[in-house]
Amino acid sequence: MAWSGALAVLGGGRYAGRLGFLGLMLAYAALVALALATLAADNGLSLGRNPLANLAKTFGEFAHPSFLDVWFGDPQLEYRSDDGTLLRVEDRRVVEADFLRQLAGATWTTFMIGTLGSLLGAVLALPFGVLTARNLGAPRWLGLPAKGLLDASRAIHTLVFGLVLVGIVGLGPTAGILAIAFHSMGTYGKLYAEAIESLDMSAVEAVRAVGAGPAQVFFNGVWPSVLPQFVSNHLYVWEFNIRDSTVLGLIGAGGLGLLITEATALFQWGRLATVLLVVVALVSLFDAASRRIRKALL
Amino acid sequence: MNAAAKVSPGGTAASLEGIVCAPGGKPVLDVDALHIAQGERIALVGPNGAGKSTLLRLLSGFARAERGVATVLGRRLPLAGRELRALRGEIGQVLQGLHLVQRLSVLDNVLIGALGRLSGWRTWARWHRVADIAEAEAALRAVGLLARADHRVDRLSGGERQKVAVARMLMQRPRLILADEPTAALDPRAAAEVCALLAEAARGATLVTVVHNPSLLPLLAGRVIGFRQGRIAFDLPVTQVDDQRLLGLYRTDEGSLVDQFLTEPPVRPRIHFPDYQ
Repeated sequence: MAWSGALAVLGGGRYAGRLGFLGLMLAYAALVALALATLAADNGLSLGRNPLANLAKTFGEFAHPSFLDVWFGDPQLEYRSDDGTLLRVEDRRVVEADFLRQLAGATWTTFMIGTLGSLLGAVLALPFGVLTARNLGAPRWLGLPAKGLLDASRAIHTLVFGLVLVGIVGLGPTAGILAIAFHSMGTYGKLYAEAIESLDMSAVEAVRAVGAGPAQVFFNGVWPSVLPQFVSNHLYVWEFNIRDSTVLGLIGAGGLGLLITEATALFQWGRLATVLLVVVALVSLFDAASRRIRKALL
Repeated sequence: MNAAAKVSPGGTAASLEGIVCAPGGKPVLDVDALHIAQGERIALVGPNGAGKSTLLRLLSGFARAERGVATVLGRRLPLAGRELRALRGEIGQVLQGLHLVQRLSVLDNVLIGALGRLSGWRTWARWHRVADIAEAEAALRAVGLLARADHRVDRLSGGERQKVAVARMLMQRPRLILADEPTAALDPRAAAEVCALLAEAARGATLVTVVHNPSLLPLLAGRVIGFRQGRIAFDLPVTQVDDQRLLGLYRTDEGSLVDQFLTEPPVRPRIHFPDYQ
């Protein structure tokens, strides 16, 4: 009763405009409540049997990243069977140094996949972005399919593209590069179209006014004005793609993702910690560099 | 003799007959007959919304007439595609405000003027021929901006930008020049400079200018056409146009305070302040 009274008050007079927002908030609250209720009914909100103990154990292993063993590891780690016979002796320092070398190679592979996939996506998206921008006056029968294609490629996740492509081009970096390209094409196209739509059209019209053809108008009036924005967009999406390519190893595209799969499959949390540190460092470094470049450009 | 009836040996640059432009249903331009001879210098005057800019847009093929016959430089409007581009190539336009490509250099902006007669992929990459670059530099020298050829346009002042627009128009070698308030937002000195350059550039071509400042009229025009509510109010040689006639275009019949400002001379509205003594 109190609620309906409050609604009646809000619905009347000068609060009428707020009712739309209130209604949206109520709908959102209902959606969240429905989601929680559905999960709770299936016992989907459980945290497992002893989450705290597991957390402590995992955290403990994470706190000891494997790369520390290169300097502090046991040079003569002995593996023994249950009855005490010596199975083999391992130099932890050598083993982990080998892993670091493997990690460096994988990092380069991941960076490569992200970079090449990004470039391919940026190039593929160009014509579609130009066709989708509403102010350039591309014919509708070309603009609408272009927009549909960009929407579809944005909607389908990189991993899904990757799984399909592994079936087509086989395991390896090629599948990863193409998966990144096909997914980020949608993002690139949308960003391109938005950059073009925010363009100063009077300059474009002035180029048209001297009798220039469509291609001349694009390359002399549009392209120089949007290029800095395009480069900035490219750096931004490139950064996303480097992060995305770290998981592509999960589906066999190689790189850091492969090491993540191995480490999780063998419960080697120390190694996972090392790999994740590299991922964080890679993404942060790239972010810092791209931010500088973008600042210099605009 | 009525200036409109004068026919120069160069022939007709533009002629309109029974033209009605009514985008969105409301007529903004309604001209029974207007003939512009080749080589004429015409100023269009009148209040905002009187149809001056619409007339210029009609002549350059950016606006369409609902009714009537319009012929520009021997071509019957409306045109499309290649024909329209060919016409625009012959019409030089100087517009108010920022109509330059901000991120290109001054020289590149001037070279845009040549795009109407150049074709091929070289113009896409802005890789211009030496002869064209020399012509662009000559145009910049004519407007006194050769020293700033390599500067980016967004680093220039308003007056300099408008001079770049004039240089771009020179590069175009137009037969008909349309200038829509080329001196808007310029200080008096820059305005006079731009007008002098424009008049110089229009030598041998037809010049149609929209102006608001009466002192610039003799510099730009031999014939003045006054517009009011989309119609031609008067069409006279510049020597017969006095301030009273010009101000009459802007006045309404309401006799409001604003109208009193537009009475001439001296401009001194009769404002009655309450007596506090």
